[in-house]
Amino acid sequence: MTQIALGRSSTEQAAPPKTAADHRTNRRRTLTAYGLLAPSLFGTVVFLGIPVILVLIFSFLKWNLLTPPKFVGLSNYLDVFTHEGAGHALLVTFYYFLLNIPFQTAFALLMALLMNRQGRFTSIIRVACVLPYLATPVAMGVVWQWIFAPSTGVVNTLLHLVGVTGPDWLNSPGWSMPVVAFANIWQYVGYNMLFFLAGLQAVPPTLYEAAAIDGATTVQRFFRVTLPLLRPTMLFVLVTGAIGSFQVFDSVYVMTNGGPGTSTTVMNMLIYQNGFIGFRIGAASALSVILFAVILVVTLVQFRYFNRRTVYEMV
Amino acid sequence: MTATASSRSVSASASASRRTASPRPTAGRGVRRVLYVIVLLAIAAIFITPYLFSVMAAFKPLSEIQGDRAWDLPSHFTLDNFVTIFTQYDFGGYLLNTAMVTIIITVGQVVFSLLGAYAFARIQFPGRDAIFWGYLSMLMVPNVVTMIPLYVMMSRVGLTDTYWALFLPYVFGTPYTIFLMRQYIQSIPSEVIEAARLDGCSELGVLRRVVVPISRPIIMTATIIAVIFSWNNFLWPLIATSSNGLQVLSVGVANFNSNFAAQWNLVLAGSLVALIPMVILFVLFQKHIVNSVNLSGASR
Repeated sequence: MTQIALGRSSTEQAAPPKTAADHRTNRRRTLTAYGLLAPSLFGTVVFLGIPVILVLIFSFLKWNLLTPPKFVGLSNYLDVFTHEGAGHALLVTFYYFLLNIPFQTAFALLMALLMNRQGRFTSIIRVACVLPYLATPVAMGVVWQWIFAPSTGVVNTLLHLVGVTGPDWLNSPGWSMPVVAFANIWQYVGYNMLFFLAGLQAVPPTLYEAAAIDGATTVQRFFRVTLPLLRPTMLFVLVTGAIGSFQVFDSVYVMTNGGPGTSTTVMNMLIYQNGFIGFRIGAASALSVILFAVILVVTLVQFRYFNRRTVYEMV
Repeated sequence: MTATASSRSVSASASASRRTASPRPTAGRGVRRVLYVIVLLAIAAIFITPYLFSVMAAFKPLSEIQGDRAWDLPSHFTLDNFVTIFTQYDFGGYLLNTAMVTIIITVGQVVFSLLGAYAFARIQFPGRDAIFWGYLSMLMVPNVVTMIPLYVMMSRVGLTDTYWALFLPYVFGTPYTIFLMRQYIQSIPSEVIEAARLDGCSELGVLRRVVVPISRPIIMTATIIAVIFSWNNFLWPLIATSSNGLQVLSVGVANFNSNFAAQWNLVLAGSLVALIPMVILFVLFQKHIVNSVNLSGASR
């Protein structure tokens, strides 16, 4: 299994070509494949690939967009760690990731299991759960700011009713990040639930029938049938969720603007502050490259873990 | 592996006998059913309540939003917030711009991503894994990273502050959608696709006659994702356009917040108007998702 987890496509493996006709078929297939890929390949190279190369180049420059850029080697990378707090921002980002992903994934799966039934009622509830995702993050940030306001906020007013004085959530260094994470879980859990629902609906019902005949309990069916078959969905939700976590910006920007202090200054916030406020294109680019590297490592770890057991071996 | 694959295809054809919600009628079934409904309603409440507050606030004057308790109904029910965004600001224009850009991006993304995803999932060709890894690594590129180079590139060819700038970077499909669709297409039993190929179907024929019908749920999902992403996309339109005639909803709403003081009333009214098309669309698509599952024989 040197092939990558996602490329686990042994069933698609064509037999080695033997005849001239096979060669022709293979060539036609290759051309078709490249034809199908051409538009997205073009878009990805021009609007993602080239910018990525450019950002690498920018990270070695001292440049404010106005005066001509100057090559400064690795000094941007040294500067961001010594002066700009890149190390701290990385820790803050990891903290957000740890607050966000386990809960988001668990709740999304739980909700999908509960709602994996057809019917008007479950349809309405599903829409309710996805409602936060449909709204623009800027507006949701405003709503949470307001709900967690120190004296007039809903949360503290309710806490007051039971005799507890709530903290000034978003202005307290200890609470600001958990609140931001909570708001994000709330906004995206319904969205992730949709993927689990799609995954659940692809599980062949006969497997459940077979398991029921074998006397499997509900819990056993979940761990022996559902969960293994959801592995591709799980991989997708975790990988995209992790990537999203490391790029969190909108809600942080609206709710705390990185504060109080630097308690919610995630990497993306720091990039934004350097690039769009300070116009230190080089430093912002260096931070971007570092963030990119971190995301890459985390994603590879996830793929590695999920590659250990493949989906269908369990069935 | 063969046994597994065939059991999947059998299940696809013989799933008329899908179990109902609860296969074994038991004594506690009624109680369980009630508990189930209560749990679902509680979940729905968690997701709806904060939104209810903001909807109510959209009908309140600014002074009441800033001081009041969120669950109070507006004491001075007012449509002023809505009137203001449409008369003093060009909210209708923002809506039109956003709708146009969203349609272009969505059609492009879904079509081009589907083509690419099929090639990755079902065609064996030289360089496939390398290219796919290239795509995956692009998936990990933080959005904010490409903004600066993208802006520089676009301005060099004179496309900034045009409609082109708003949709060009997104219209060719995203690695995200390709990844998503590929995962789904890969789960289609090989026998189904091989049978179509043996019957003389071209790759495009397989795609159109076999993959697209089976993949309807994921196509719907990808459509929703593209629409919502494009509808709420903020940072790029903000950077790429400056003239008022090209403003999109998200930037317009944000401007209510940052122009002079925080006009939360306009932000909330604007985001409510912006949300309505999304909810309508989602409800329609939700129905499609359920129907497509039914059509494939999964239930009833």
